[in-house]
Amino acid sequence: MLVEHILLASHGTEGAIAAERMAMSICCKGGKIHHLIVVPEFWQGMTGDDWLNNGSTRDIFRRYLENELGREVDEHCERINKKASIDSLIYSNEIVLGEPENLLLNTSEKQSFDLIIIGSPRPKHKKGLRSRMLTEDLVRSLTIPLLIVPYPQQTHDR
Amino acid sequence: MVYTKNNPALFIIGLMMLAIWYFTESGLLAPVIEHLAAGKSYRYTSELMTIPFYFGLIATLFGLWQWLGTHKEGNWDYYASTIAGGMFILLITMLVRWFIAPEIAVISIGFGEIGNTGKYIHELLGLNYVVTGIVTGLIIVNIFQIPVWAKNGVRLSRLGLKTGVILLGALYSAAELKNLGGLSIIMIGFFVLGSVWMVLWMGARRNISNSMGGVLSAGMGVCGVSATVAVAPVVQAKPVEIAYTIGTILLWGVGCMFLFPIIGNLLNMSHVQFGAWAGTGILNSAQVAGAALAFQPDGIETLMVAEIFNITRVLILPIIVLWLAMWYVKREGDNAVQVNVGRVVIEKFPVFVLGFILMFVLSTTGIFAPANHYQGKYFGNTAEQGFKQENRLKPNQTALLQSEASQVQRADYNAALQHLIENGKIMSIDDDTAVRGLINAKIMTQDANEILKQAHAAVRHTAQKIEAFRQWITWLFAFGLVGLGMQITIGSMKQAGGQPAVIGGIVGFIKAALSLVVVMMLVSETV
Repeated sequence: MLVEHILLASHGTEGAIAAERMAMSICCKGGKIHHLIVVPEFWQGMTGDDWLNNGSTRDIFRRYLENELGREVDEHCERINKKASIDSLIYSNEIVLGEPENLLLNTSEKQSFDLIIIGSPRPKHKKGLRSRMLTEDLVRSLTIPLLIVPYPQQTHDR
Repeated sequence: MVYTKNNPALFIIGLMMLAIWYFTESGLLAPVIEHLAAGKSYRYTSELMTIPFYFGLIATLFGLWQWLGTHKEGNWDYYASTIAGGMFILLITMLVRWFIAPEIAVISIGFGEIGNTGKYIHELLGLNYVVTGIVTGLIIVNIFQIPVWAKNGVRLSRLGLKTGVILLGALYSAAELKNLGGLSIIMIGFFVLGSVWMVLWMGARRNISNSMGGVLSAGMGVCGVSATVAVAPVVQAKPVEIAYTIGTILLWGVGCMFLFPIIGNLLNMSHVQFGAWAGTGILNSAQVAGAALAFQPDGIETLMVAEIFNITRVLILPIIVLWLAMWYVKREGDNAVQVNVGRVVIEKFPVFVLGFILMFVLSTTGIFAPANHYQGKYFGNTAEQGFKQENRLKPNQTALLQSEASQVQRADYNAALQHLIENGKIMSIDDDTAVRGLINAKIMTQDANEILKQAHAAVRHTAQKIEAFRQWITWLFAFGLVGLGMQITIGSMKQAGGQPAVIGGIVGFIKAALSLVVVMMLVSETV
């Protein structure tokens, strides 16, 4: 099965990388991959209840964190873009901050996608940040087919 | 960008505050107040008759302007936009302090005392207006979300806390500051350096990255999230490492804020002991203030001790930042960013501590109260110092004292009594101390003791400014902590995990337990 226009939601985790591979493999030549990267909103609360620091220290921290997150996202997009151009695919991306589930729903309604691809949730023993995109509400609300790619380790286990 | 929103929220908040004031003044709230007092006298009546009126008036007028006025980009617009959020926090604080926390107490008293502790559930769990306020803040941000019009103003909570610390400077005596400062330098020095070293040591054994070890050791050792924020850019921590560290610290901090007062109550710790323990053992500085006020909601003695520890921590922070920067450069070599020592010291220096010192210095000059005041109380036996001539003892009173004077054997008590009989009033601080000792010794008859108490009360005065400071400090901290509660998201706490959770858990527990042992063994009940 080959599809023309894919909405790929990934943010660099192992599960998401498996989803990226899947998107590349099932997108037809000349097809389009729209890459959605959600920066989870919990990052906004990362200065927590700090009150002892001066404003300048907090500003330095915020700028540093934004730059680091931006650098990670740029590296991630660059990597997929390279792969897409090798496979003659048209790559575009969208970086948004907020609740992953809602943002995926919003983006899925903006263009006419044939398929949405996301990675499956991380197995319990795997470490990583806690921010879920795949929820029951999402599955219930989507009007486009959704492909959930198995986590790499699970695939190897079988 | 225009920050001030055309929104009626601030106006409505103002009306709500005015309604509280009006219902109190008119007596409509009397049944509610009687219910909340639970048979005692309701302690917030005077606050209810003043605070909501003044702030309600300000909020209503500003609210009308924000709602109906036109707003232009600029500094004034930015600062004006914070008022709605600030008033939102204030309204929550009022509701919690005056109504919700007292209602919790009424319900708790209904359940009766817990076992043979002699305490009710709310006393044992520290469920007072401070803890309830922080929990309300947590509920608002995590369940209902902060309204858009209030977002800018929620940051004012930091200003509230810093102003509270600055005002606190006026309440210390030189001896208190010297003793508490010395104690905090020893305790903080030992435990901060100890926990920073322990995290780095454990981190090396558990193969975590240098950046992770650096940021975690600062957070665990110095002052929690504040230290993490200060150190993260210096040790080039990755976002995921920052998230793990802050999540772990917030989870620990919130847990400790509830747990510490319970343990403190069970162990019958004194204000000094609890303040020293919370100031050392709780990872996060915001929760140190929260726990201190949770332990002693109707006084600020515990807070005064805990804040000295907080100040010592924040003064140590630039040193720790430099230490970790040098440690990181040594480990990472060319990959590390070079650190400008002077810049770090200037940028990380807590300016508000200068305000604290200034208030302390001003206080010692006698600008707020006579220089010999102790926690706002001072001795004065002249009209200029507040002594009222009508309070001088009457001849029949001095005659009664004279008739019983022979029962007093101790020389200092006897001398003080003779001075009192001769002059009709207590003549010096030393005499006053002796008279208090005489009252407590119960050597004389009850009538004579009543006269001594009257003479003592006539020369002890309360400094009005210091009393006002104490009120303001309580409100500023309550306001600040409710606002900080609104900045603790479950989303960030949920990131606690990985090696930081393991190492942080071990180091946090050892620090809390060991500091408790040290405090119970070495710290006396008073300073």
